[in-house]
Amino acid sequence: MKLLLAIALLAAGAAAADAAGTVTVVTRDPAGKPVADAVAYLTPLGAPARVEPPAEPVAIVQRDQEFMPYVTAVVVGTRVAFPNEDTVRHHVYSVSPAKRFEIPLYIGDSKEAIVFDKEGIVTLGCNIHDWMVAYVVVLATPYFAKTGADGGAEVRLLPAGRYRLDVWHPRAGTVTREVAVADASDTTQIISVILRPDRRIRRAPDAGGPGYK
Amino acid sequence: MRATPFRLPRFKRFGSRLLVLIAGLVALAQVANYALVFRANRRNAIERIRANLDKGALLFTHRVNARLEDLSSRAALMSGDYAIRQLFLAEQIDAATVSSALETYRVRIGLPFMALLSADGSRLGDSGGGLAAAALAPFRGLVARAAESEEPQARGYARLPPDGPDGRLYALQVVPVYAPKPEIVAWICMALPIDNRFAGELKADAQLEVTFLYGSAGEMRPVESTLPSERLALEPARLEPGGSTVRLGAESFVTSVQPLPLVTPGRAAIALQRSLEAELEPSRLLERFLLILLLVSLGVAAMVAPWFARNLSRPLRALADHTGVIARGDYDTRLAIDRADEIGQLAASFNRMSEGLAERDRVRDLLDKNVSPEVAAQLMRDGGALGGEEREISVLFVDLRNFTRMSEPLAPKEVLAILNRYFDRMSTIVEVYHGIVDKYMGDAIMALFGAPVALPNHADCAILAAIEMKSALERFNAELATDGRGRLAFGIGINTAKVIAGNIGSSRRLNFSVIGDGVNVAARLQDLTRMSQYRADILVSAATLAAARGRYSVRPLGAAPVRGRDEPVEIFAVDGAGAPAAP
Repeated sequence: MKLLLAIALLAAGAAAADAAGTVTVVTRDPAGKPVADAVAYLTPLGAPARVEPPAEPVAIVQRDQEFMPYVTAVVVGTRVAFPNEDTVRHHVYSVSPAKRFEIPLYIGDSKEAIVFDKEGIVTLGCNIHDWMVAYVVVLATPYFAKTGADGGAEVRLLPAGRYRLDVWHPRAGTVTREVAVADASDTTQIISVILRPDRRIRRAPDAGGPGYK
Repeated sequence: MRATPFRLPRFKRFGSRLLVLIAGLVALAQVANYALVFRANRRNAIERIRANLDKGALLFTHRVNARLEDLSSRAALMSGDYAIRQLFLAEQIDAATVSSALETYRVRIGLPFMALLSADGSRLGDSGGGLAAAALAPFRGLVARAAESEEPQARGYARLPPDGPDGRLYALQVVPVYAPKPEIVAWICMALPIDNRFAGELKADAQLEVTFLYGSAGEMRPVESTLPSERLALEPARLEPGGSTVRLGAESFVTSVQPLPLVTPGRAAIALQRSLEAELEPSRLLERFLLILLLVSLGVAAMVAPWFARNLSRPLRALADHTGVIARGDYDTRLAIDRADEIGQLAASFNRMSEGLAERDRVRDLLDKNVSPEVAAQLMRDGGALGGEEREISVLFVDLRNFTRMSEPLAPKEVLAILNRYFDRMSTIVEVYHGIVDKYMGDAIMALFGAPVALPNHADCAILAAIEMKSALERFNAELATDGRGRLAFGIGINTAKVIAGNIGSSRRLNFSVIGDGVNVAARLQDLTRMSQYRADILVSAATLAAARGRYSVRPLGAAPVRGRDEPVEIFAVDGAGAPAAP
């Protein structure tokens, strides 16, 4: 009997799994090259999705005096820790309206994780290292993925229905379109992203530079 | 001199004319030179000043930009200041705190005013003071412009406050506050005053007078200047962008007005000026030198011209005087002008003329006869014939028989006329047969054949001439008859002998003639033609016939005594040319 129940559950689970759709998002810039570090997220039109922040905090590491990763997507309520793996101290801060915080100069693990409790884009910087920059995209939907170097992102386990698909990149505005997901469907959305010029400070050793960039 | 429309002074003397010409040309050249140099100096000075003014305008722009760059660097440092970040970390940005911080910062970097605007342009704080109200609007405009541009920064000129007489010129700049780059969270706004200190530094570096102009509506007027106020008061009421020359009191100022585009209402410009007189100062020396040169060369010309004129007019006067000498008949005096130029050539020509005239005189004197130019030329060539020569010639005498009787009833004038007509005919015949008329003696003619020009067939010529004369006399008589006059008759005697030929007479009056016994014989033969028994008009001697080569119709008349000669002379009558008629 127990075995039968298990098989039934498995079948039901399988059936349920087959019922979820997948949307693959492929980003391209106008020249046709893939765009990495773009966050694609689908917000259901109709009833909002249930968001459950993960139990363990997400880590944004400081290594070689850079934030890793460059872009991190989380749901509202996620805790983010900032372990410092460098031998120098860092002073992490953000003045973004979605989360204003600072962690004064520290080394090793940050004392506490920061809870990102508002939807929005949070820009992170280091007070004493001007070139260090990272982004935290705080979302109200669990259906999201970040594009890799190939420009592709797979958003899985989507219940059937209609969604608003948004694609965001630090150097672009948000591209929005409407997407319909059917049971067990696997669709691909090709999104064209127009990037602004990259204005991040170069760390190249040009001592004679004009300074402020 | 031709009359001219202008009343030019008239100069009679060549020297005066030359003086005026040379001095005039020198003066003209020097004055033209001076004028051209003067004009060129002025033009070059103006061009140089214009180039300097353009550089000055560039220098001004560079200085403003350099200062703003410097300020932007300092602002960048400040914007990374932890304290600024702290202000942004607060939930509500405290404007009062921001403003007081900006007051600190503006003193640190030496500005009269600073402000902080958020990314969307709302005011986060400012350092206060009179500029606060007026400055925010232009700063917002600059922020909008900077947000669009590649390098997020913008600057521009402004007059603050825009209205009213207290407005001053500022250079405004906005630089972003990053948190971190490339995220712009705010804009730092700075106002740099463009004041007298700026103008003074520019004047010291570029040696130019600097004036800032402003106009709220149409025309612009000076607001700040390096010129002293009394000079400034002389500036024209309106100055427009571009280049010009402006007169301020005693000096001319080359001016360049460059517009300064404002981000506040109104028009502004910077006027750069330099005194033309100051620029021309070094060339004054050259101009003074040229003036002295002009006067000196005029003086030299005034001295050289009369000397040169005298050099010309003296020999000319000598030439003029010499014509008087020639006119008086003195062909022997020569001009002593020894020059290689045209005057010398003219003097040589004069002397040759004198020589020619003297020669002609000599020829006349020598021959005293109507000889043809060729004969005269030949005679001139072999002068020896005139000096005295023994030669065998033929002498012909022809004498009118009854002329006195025939001419008695006639008036003296007509007598002479007839005689001269007769002489004319006969002399022509003599010349045709290459002889010359030696002399006219009353109504007789003495002709020579063979002297002074040598004649190989002188005997034939003489005989033929005589025969021809006879025919001519017949024709002449026919003419006389139609006029109702009497007939003329003559006798001709010809002898051939050696005589002495040459110029005979005194030095004042020379005659070419011959002397010798043979001459008397010819005269005697002519005399014998009166003897009716001979029935001959032409009597020739045996010597003549012997010398003659032609054949003639002759009658031997035997020997006749000749006065002054011991032996009688054989004489022949010539009746005509050709073979003798059959007896």
